[in-house]
Amino acid sequence: MRISRRSLLKGAAAAGAAGAVTALAGKAEASEHESKHRPDAVGMLYDSTLCVGCRACVTKCKEANQLPVDQSAMQGTEKAVYDAPSDLNGQTKNIIKVFKDGERFAFMKQQCMHCVEPSCVSVCMMGALHKEGEGTRSFEGENKGTGIVVYDKYTCVGCRYCQIACSFNVPKFEWFDPLPRIVKCELCKHRADKNKTGPLAVANPACCEVCPREAVIYGKREELLAIAKKRIAADPKRYNAKVYGEKEGGGTQVLYLAPASVSFQELGLPELPEHSAASFSEHVSHTPYLHGVTPIALYATAAFLIHRNKKKEEEAEHHEEGK
Amino acid sequence: MSAHAHPKAIGGKLLDPTMKILLGLFGIAAVVMVYRFFTGIGPVSNMTDGYAWGIWEPINVVVFTGIGAGAYSVGLLCYLLNKGKYHPYVRPAVLVGAIAYSLGGSSIVIALGRYWNAYWLPAVPIWNLNSVLLEVAVCVISYVLVLWVEVLPAVLDGAASSKSPGWSRFGAKWGQRLSKAMPFVIALAVVLPTMHQSSLGGLMLIATTKVDPLWHTWALPLLALISCLSMGYGTVVVLTNILGMTWKAKYDQALFADMSKVNGGLLFLFSAIRLGDIVVQGKLHYLGRLDHHLFFFVLEMALFLVPAFMFFSPKVQQNRGRLFAAALMAIAAGALWRVDAYLTCYNAGEGWEYFPSMGETIVTIGMAAIGIAVFIFVSRLFPVVVVDDAHRHSNVGADQVRSAASR
Repeated sequence: MRISRRSLLKGAAAAGAAGAVTALAGKAEASEHESKHRPDAVGMLYDSTLCVGCRACVTKCKEANQLPVDQSAMQGTEKAVYDAPSDLNGQTKNIIKVFKDGERFAFMKQQCMHCVEPSCVSVCMMGALHKEGEGTRSFEGENKGTGIVVYDKYTCVGCRYCQIACSFNVPKFEWFDPLPRIVKCELCKHRADKNKTGPLAVANPACCEVCPREAVIYGKREELLAIAKKRIAADPKRYNAKVYGEKEGGGTQVLYLAPASVSFQELGLPELPEHSAASFSEHVSHTPYLHGVTPIALYATAAFLIHRNKKKEEEAEHHEEGK
Repeated sequence: MSAHAHPKAIGGKLLDPTMKILLGLFGIAAVVMVYRFFTGIGPVSNMTDGYAWGIWEPINVVVFTGIGAGAYSVGLLCYLLNKGKYHPYVRPAVLVGAIAYSLGGSSIVIALGRYWNAYWLPAVPIWNLNSVLLEVAVCVISYVLVLWVEVLPAVLDGAASSKSPGWSRFGAKWGQRLSKAMPFVIALAVVLPTMHQSSLGGLMLIATTKVDPLWHTWALPLLALISCLSMGYGTVVVLTNILGMTWKAKYDQALFADMSKVNGGLLFLFSAIRLGDIVVQGKLHYLGRLDHHLFFFVLEMALFLVPAFMFFSPKVQQNRGRLFAAALMAIAAGALWRVDAYLTCYNAGEGWEYFPSMGETIVTIGMAAIGIAVFIFVSRLFPVVVVDDAHRHSNVGADQVRSAASR
């Protein structure tokens, strides 16, 4: 999101709110520096080689987030009595999937990746999806610098641009609710314990708490990245050499380790360049505005030309009538 | 003023059979829309988390406003480049624009999940200026207002020539006042569409992994801007032809021949940028896939290039029917490119499929129907369309207003 001297006047030309927008300019710049450097960012590390697919995390997530059961995976069978979601959806923020190809197989956990430069945050009209404490309006009780992507239902208009934007297809919509919301993992921010210190004071993901194999662990992103690299170095034959999320799409705060024989794409993670989609989109969209100069210049030129043309025409008419 | 023929109210029966059919279609759509507010979007649509916008966004908003861009493209010619001879076509184009944009805007409200939160939109401090959709929303809403202000001269003109002396005075007075302010309103009508039409292409910039590489490019905003101009010029030709058939609207072959060269140039420019970008970005190998991507790409290129060549051919320029066909293709080209980038060549990932539901289709058709109905309604009551035989036109009381309201 480097290009963000943001074409602030986009809105100004539209709403004539030049003053307000100039004020915003400073704000946007300021949040720029914050977002570049978040030493306190928290996240998760999922190690596919440790996961046994018990799905305790799926159940615990539903409980912690008070989500209804979903039997879509067993739809049409008589056994549709268990909570068995087939994918992330409006009732499911976390899911375990399995990749299988002959001998090779691996489990996969899916939830919000809490991207370093999230597409959903970049596109959200009024900051309903925002990095904790970094929205376009101040949200009470939010920490700064955790980098958790949180949702504010009061400014969400349900446009679903986040769903179009997210490379991981994470945000979900309540299609069958007349008063729907966007549903996605918020890292169990609501389970944070203010009396504790360190990451647990910020959030406490239920999936990490319940995992019997510590296949998914919670902590500071920097520390998790170090742990992941240590695991690969200690047993290079066991692991795919890459930590997914270190650089993919500008980096994610949820990191992945895969078995040596399985690629991340086979686990369902998209192949992404190192720069984020958000930085690309913002760069291309903002550049032509030249910090808001273009619309104003265009307006002034147009008004001048139209005014002049009209005068000329009226004078010509006058002559005609005078004859 | 001799260059300007006078628009006149068409008159006639308001509730004719055509109108009844159009209102009927909208009535069915209205039922679906009301139902949607009670049950959510799921039951009336086939939209999914993968195809979250279905056809409502790509067609009701992106294509409708492309057609509505006639107001923008003819306005550019007429006011900015001072080609006054295009004046007779401004009012109908502006009316189509005002209607198409209003429909696009209201379609969004139907599609929004949490529409009641839209009251936050005027709250400038919480705007996320990185959001292309915010730019589109704010800019389109402002432009709808500007367009209806642009329709006002026709209404005041109508009032001025009314039999009631009160209305007549009112129309004349406000028509003149509005006329003074008009250049500054029209300047907005140049800036706003430039911004949001490019943003409508820019919306898909973020979907780097989903929009097919043949469609996803940094040039999306630029291409969208060019294609809206081309669709706009096409719309004016098609519209005038249709109005000519039904209401004997003034049709000037020489003028349209001139305008066609502009449109042909735009279509060539679009194709050159599109193809050049594919070559420069090394995406030619994506043309090797023998699937729907190739089919739509070839169809698009044909729809862009065939009318481009046609527009420059004297045989087409002199023939009303051929020019009509070329204009129709120019609209179809822009529309198909838009729908492809948003939907048919948008791939949400494995396992996601989409085909519009009955409900979605009915809403789109109903919206188009009410748009046509409003156009007919306004044109019957107010002087919008310039009719060919001028001597039948009553000039009573219109003289001073003409100069006032012709803007």
